[in-house]
Amino acid sequence: MRVTFSAQNRNSTAGLEGSATRLLEFQRQVSTGKRIEKPSDDPSATLGSIGEHAETAAIDQYARATDSVASRLSVIDTVLSDLINQVERAQVQAASARGSTKTQLQREAAATDLEGIRDTIFSDMNTAFNGTYVFSGSASTVAPYTRVGTGPISAYAGSTSEMVVDIDQQRAVKIAFNGQSVAQGTDPQDIFVEFDNLIAAVRAGDDAGIAAGMSALDRMFDRVSTSQGRVGADLRTIDEQKVRLSELKRASTKRLSALEDTNMAEAITGMAQADAAYKAALGAVSSVTRMSLMDYLR
Amino acid sequence: MSSLFSSLTAAARALDAQRFGLDVTGQNIANVNTPGYTRRVIDMAAVPPESSRTAGRGVDVVAVRSARDLMIERRLQQEVPAERREAALADVLGVVEVALGKPGESIDAALDRFFDSFANLSQSPSSSVARQEVLLQAESLADTFRDMAERIAIAQRDTDAQVVSAAQDVNALATQIAKINETIARTGESAGGILTLQDEQSVLVRQLSEIVDIDVLQRADGGVDITIGNGRALVIGENGYQVQTSVVAGVNHIFAAGVDITAELSAGKIGGLIYARDVLLPGYQTDLDTLAYEVANNVNALHAAGVGGDGLTGRNLFSFTPAIVGSAGAAGAIGVDPAVAGSPDHVAAAGPGAPVGDNTTARDIAALRHARVVGGTATFHDTWGQLVYRVGRDSQTAKNEQQSRDEIVTQVDALRDQVSGISLDEEAVNLVKFQKAYEANARFFRAIDSTLDTLLGILR
Repeated sequence: MRVTFSAQNRNSTAGLEGSATRLLEFQRQVSTGKRIEKPSDDPSATLGSIGEHAETAAIDQYARATDSVASRLSVIDTVLSDLINQVERAQVQAASARGSTKTQLQREAAATDLEGIRDTIFSDMNTAFNGTYVFSGSASTVAPYTRVGTGPISAYAGSTSEMVVDIDQQRAVKIAFNGQSVAQGTDPQDIFVEFDNLIAAVRAGDDAGIAAGMSALDRMFDRVSTSQGRVGADLRTIDEQKVRLSELKRASTKRLSALEDTNMAEAITGMAQADAAYKAALGAVSSVTRMSLMDYLR
Repeated sequence: MSSLFSSLTAAARALDAQRFGLDVTGQNIANVNTPGYTRRVIDMAAVPPESSRTAGRGVDVVAVRSARDLMIERRLQQEVPAERREAALADVLGVVEVALGKPGESIDAALDRFFDSFANLSQSPSSSVARQEVLLQAESLADTFRDMAERIAIAQRDTDAQVVSAAQDVNALATQIAKINETIARTGESAGGILTLQDEQSVLVRQLSEIVDIDVLQRADGGVDITIGNGRALVIGENGYQVQTSVVAGVNHIFAAGVDITAELSAGKIGGLIYARDVLLPGYQTDLDTLAYEVANNVNALHAAGVGGDGLTGRNLFSFTPAIVGSAGAAGAIGVDPAVAGSPDHVAAAGPGAPVGDNTTARDIAALRHARVVGGTATFHDTWGQLVYRVGRDSQTAKNEQQSRDEIVTQVDALRDQVSGISLDEEAVNLVKFQKAYEANARFFRAIDSTLDTLLGILR
């Protein structure tokens, strides 16, 4: 075989270029920490990586939603607890006003107390969080109950449909309650009308009226307790969801890392190999080009 | 019967021949790095004796020929265009795939932020900040789509410009080859200069085969005839025929003698460029258009049914300017609808028929993130991923193909070198060979000379 000058040069150049390219690629992988620089480095891994990024973004969003829903629900939980307290206090006051032995002064004191409790319940039902009412259903920008001065409290102005927020693909949590189902339920009139009737009955010493009012308070107590039970259940769900999301996130990040990140051990070994190959190629080129018969001619 | 004088003549002729050998060796060494230069070989032959009683009249140089293997040259003309096609494809796609951006930093990220903004709105449907954020993200998503469409369009325009300049290169090379043909025909085969012209010719043919797939026919006088495409004449004898470019349907097509031969040019740089420009890039653009169209349509369907902060309904979030037919051009034309742009209150968060504070529509739009709405099988992210995968795979294939084709070209080049290349060791041996032969012939000359002296001395 004839070994020609240009073939020698071409081989030397190709060998040097090849090993230098490999060295550079491993260097890039080690210095950037990323295995994939552009889609053509590994098209399927890039596809997987886009999917994982979307997954991570969705998980992050659900995590944010879970946090915001959790603070909202704990506010609702507190309000419901307060409602229960108020209803219990009202029951005590109403009971104390019963019987023929009570003086007008005592009845008046009980009635004034009941008015205060009614006003507290009114303000509880109008609780807003982050600018939206929590007991207005989906009409979250409308106050559920309104009142002009010390006049009578209006009828329910919110929506009867409730509002939910997604905290996962298939899991939603209620963030705005139907106030009417709490304040009225299946009764013919809402708790504020019942209160007004009860207060009038207390003032009048009407025991039958007081009894009717107390049974309305009982039903209110049941409705609020039921709602609080649901909120408690949702809060527990949210705690579980937080754990679940952080696990999902960890798993997704791990998969993403496997797809995108450099396997350092492999890359550094590869870099050492490529480095050795490059040096060998340099050595081979210099020793090949040194040799020529021309050197032996005098 | 030979004489001492004829011996002297033969010796002189032999000295001449060996010196010529040294010349050729020198020429070979001098051109060791000249592209296209083929090794020159000197052919010597013994000059036959005039009669049976003479030894012969020495040596004569019969010819200097170049060591060229036409089979190998033809192999090169076949392999080079295939390699160059993949190289051109890899170049174009390398630019496009970088333009697509990294996973999690491109359209996929814009989609995420867009759906996030609706999810936030669903948590506080009355918040004007959340509404403003929806508008910002919708605009940013539309911008990202338009940018991406523009990048692909730019890649297509650049590729088109490269096609035009490649066609100009073809014309320039055709003119040069025709000129060489003309010179060869005029000089005639006997002249030694033809070898140099043929070296030049082979360099030009090689350059031409890098641009376009060619068929080369050797002429009897040493020139070449060249055709491209389906036998379209490019160089016939001393005539170089030009190809023309002319815009057809927005891109430059290539014409030979008035016939559109764009579809016939499949290999060489020009073949790769045309394939990228007419098949691959429009395919990516269509995929991107489909994605933009589906995003706009699905979001609009929910948004138009929903109720805005002002209690009104029936407004689209996205619209296309200029208007489009089907999904073609959607990515380049998408924008936030003027009826909503700048008016956060016009963003619909409430469900159909629901009061203003409702969040159903915001929730439903946020849930589109996971919906398999593109073709009923793919989410928006899937569709984007498929596009990136497609570009990446095409680019990878082109690179791999180019590498394996390059191997073949290198092998054939090595074969050509074995025949035509210069080996310095060999030339060194030749140098010694001709030098020694020259010395020996010079001694012979001196021997005859002194013999003549002896003969003439007798007469004194």
